Amino acid sequence: MRIYALAVYAFLYFPIGVIALFSLNAGRHASQFQGFSTQWYGKALANPFVMDALKTSLTVALVSALLASLFGTMAALALQSVKGRTRVFFDALIYIAVMVPGIVIGIATLIALVTVFNWLNPILEIIWPIADQAPKLSMGFGSLIAAHGLFTMALVVIIVRARIAGMDRSLIEASADLYATPFGTFRQVTLPQIFPGILAGFLLSFTFSFDDFIIAFFVAGSETTLPIYVFSSIRRGVTPEINAIGTMVLGASLAILILAQTILQRGRKQAGGSAP
Amino acid sequence: MTDHNDTITREKFMAELWRYKRGSVTRRHFLGVTGLGTATAVLGAAMPGLMPRPAWSQANIGDRVILATWPNYHEPTNFEAFTEATGAAVQVNVFGSNEEMLAKLQAGGSGWDVFVPTNYTITTYVDEGLIEPIDVSRLPNYDASAFDARFASPGTVNDTLYAVSKNWGTTGYAINTAKNGDVTPTTWKEFWDMTMTNFSGRTMVHDYQLTTIGNALKYFGYSFNSVDANELADAEKLLLDAKPHLFAINSDYQPSMRSGDAWMTMCWTGDGKQLNTDIPEIKYVLGKEGGELWSDFYAIPKGAPHMDAAYALIDFLLTPENNAKEALFHGYPVADARTNALLPAELLNDPIIYPAADLLSALEFGAAATLTDPNRAELLARFKSA
Amino acid sequence: MQPRVKTWLFLMPAGLWFLTMLVLPLVVVFIFSFGERGAAGGYVPAFTLDQYANLPARWAAFRNTLTLAPIGTVVCLLIAYPLAYFLALRTTPKWRTLLLILVIVPFWTSILIRSYAWIFILGGRGLPTLISALGLGDVQLINTPFAVLVGIVYGYLPLMVFPIFVSLERLDKRLLEASSDLGCPPWRSFLNVTLPLSMPGVATGCMLVFILLMGEFLIPAILGGGKVFFVGNALVDLFLQSRNWAYGSAVAVTLVAIMLVTVTAYMRFTRRWAGGRDDVSLM
Repeated sequence: MRIYALAVYAFLYFPIGVIALFSLNAGRHASQFQGFSTQWYGKALANPFVMDALKTSLTVALVSALLASLFGTMAALALQSVKGRTRVFFDALIYIAVMVPGIVIGIATLIALVTVFNWLNPILEIIWPIADQAPKLSMGFGSLIAAHGLFTMALVVIIVRARIAGMDRSLIEASADLYATPFGTFRQVTLPQIFPGILAGFLLSFTFSFDDFIIAFFVAGSETTLPIYVFSSIRRGVTPEINAIGTMVLGASLAILILAQTILQRGRKQAGGSAP
Repeated sequence: MTDHNDTITREKFMAELWRYKRGSVTRRHFLGVTGLGTATAVLGAAMPGLMPRPAWSQANIGDRVILATWPNYHEPTNFEAFTEATGAAVQVNVFGSNEEMLAKLQAGGSGWDVFVPTNYTITTYVDEGLIEPIDVSRLPNYDASAFDARFASPGTVNDTLYAVSKNWGTTGYAINTAKNGDVTPTTWKEFWDMTMTNFSGRTMVHDYQLTTIGNALKYFGYSFNSVDANELADAEKLLLDAKPHLFAINSDYQPSMRSGDAWMTMCWTGDGKQLNTDIPEIKYVLGKEGGELWSDFYAIPKGAPHMDAAYALIDFLLTPENNAKEALFHGYPVADARTNALLPAELLNDPIIYPAADLLSALEFGAAATLTDPNRAELLARFKSA
Repeated sequence: MQPRVKTWLFLMPAGLWFLTMLVLPLVVVFIFSFGERGAAGGYVPAFTLDQYANLPARWAAFRNTLTLAPIGTVVCLLIAYPLAYFLALRTTPKWRTLLLILVIVPFWTSILIRSYAWIFILGGRGLPTLISALGLGDVQLINTPFAVLVGIVYGYLPLMVFPIFVSLERLDKRLLEASSDLGCPPWRSFLNVTLPLSMPGVATGCMLVFILLMGEFLIPAILGGGKVFFVGNALVDLFLQSRNWAYGSAVAVTLVAIMLVTVTAYMRFTRRWAGGRDDVSLM
């Protein structure tokens, strides 16, 4: 059993080892190893387009994950008290949002938005008060955030709803019996119970958006996210720079995960210690 | 310049250049040994005084310019020099086919400032309203009279200049002759027959309808540009027969040829030159039956976000000194006589770059009809999905 | 505030988002699928069933997807289950957390770069050299369905491990003790107790992986060398090469329809199978 687990971990980490090894390649061609050097790390960090792409990816991931967590949680809370047709309609929407492949979402968003923008832009030009200053709608940050937010919001609704279903209802009743305001009950009873769900939803949403290539490929317009940059570079023939970027992203996420885990565990210990 | 740098010979220069490209010497070493470092610095400082203020040294062209181009088509140090001179960083987006460029522009909001269309596509860009006319007054280093009209004229549509000549070249194939008993084939017929016999599993074709279908048409002696239904049906049958024997369908074939995974590939002039220089047993072949002769252009898409930077970049790259460095890097011929005057004789006499007249005369320019013909696009898609 | 008004206010943002970003685009795709390709590409309005009549031209792409997606899912499951079992039942809590993190971490590097690493491993100078050195003959691994399968399993394994791990960890260990007290050999306890109780996790994992595989584009593009074609690749080509929006829309509509049918049927089936428990399944 242990040997089997070891083998699976080897399978998972061997390619990552290859990436890390080639990121230390001194030569230009990724397929020929020409001695060790850390120069590509410096080059990647000094490359303004890598940094720009990273900034775009982080912004899009952060904004779309925040909006998805907020609106998704609101919808999950409201859906508790909704029955009948609205409920069925929402369930169907969430089901479809989760099930339709990313590539179809990307394509559909592209052609729908391009078509709508082609209608709206001439109208905007006519009705805009200052001549020649009318804003021109186009694909970019907005479409990226909106398209990423769609899938992740559905995810948040599902996760938070599961959390609400598993919640201890007697506490809410008790709180109401003690004359707490509905908002007070929400803040002090409901929110702490569903918070881990919201956090999990946020983290998943962030990861999804940060790692997404296929939707962004269609809807990014002139923006370049990190995966798009990497894809375009790979077609140019990979330099060890790309491997260096991959290794750094991996290192950073590992550090964040371990940090989060340590904080969580310490928090749990403290909570455990102070409990009566 | 130091004495030591003055004495470098042309042969030494070429040797150093290829050493640098192979990665066996650093850029600093290369620039130092060849004196290009000082030359660039001196030129850069002297330029504004010498010339009618080049567009790329104008103040404030912004901090970036986005270029959509083909794989292995630019000297990276030229971009670095441009950024140093103007403060605008160059982002390079690489494409595999003209269809892909057109699709991106049609979908709107590509965000490009400069792109590199091929001769036969320019009329379509004009018809679709996707391309800006070129204002020559903003390209002080461009001299239309210096260009070979055969390659530069497709840039002018309805008497308006839309694109300026970048390079021209041919589409043939590269073959690792060591895997073929040192025999170099000469025809497209051999290319396809070998693909299905002794080179099975080792051949690559482009992910590009014009060349992949065109060179399959050549097997039967049809026109490279045919849109005739029966001729296309023959080509399709050949492609489908060959498909199980292919190593890959990909326009970026250099990595696979270098690693030895692939032995033969459809190939553009410069890639052939680059491969042949590093690995001499890889030869570049133009099929006797014909094939493609093409010329590429710099153009500006409609609504480019950094128009000043776009003109500055084109002007910078077309400045003969810089253009010569480009040609030394990528090995594609230039239609600009001023640039050719700066290139070493070895390059101008290279049979890969400037093929013999009889081989050249068999070639055809791509036709605009192939770009928009739905049957050719659909044929390639069927071939890929088969 | 009226509770009704509050409910509606809470539902509004998500509802509007779904309407503009999901319903509107899907309706547009549906309408476009009855149109025609413009002369230079794109779309011109029309009402024709030509695009659907032409679907057999992409038969190979659908066939590849519909064979490799289930195979990939099953291989993922077979590799993931023992690992999840090991993590949930055979490790101490301290190690468990670390080992779990180690499963997620690869998932955090771009799938692009991870797939690209396999080009080195499966390419001519990687495994094939080793295989021929062992005297097992010359093989080509890269640009084959096998390479794509490896990429798929590698890319989606963590997604399968997690739900199975969760359902195994929740399992009441006293059931296993009881079973062994009653003289059941371990393999029978596994078949009669552990396996059935972990089914919801298996169902969730399989569905997640299957859904993602049906729309896969990157892995076949990188490891298939343009020779292993999924519906996703056909779609990218139709929109980014031949610019045939109408036909592309028809292919997209067909893909969504196939998924609606298979996923819904699958959910019905697994729900009945898992004895009406739907705690871990997707909805």
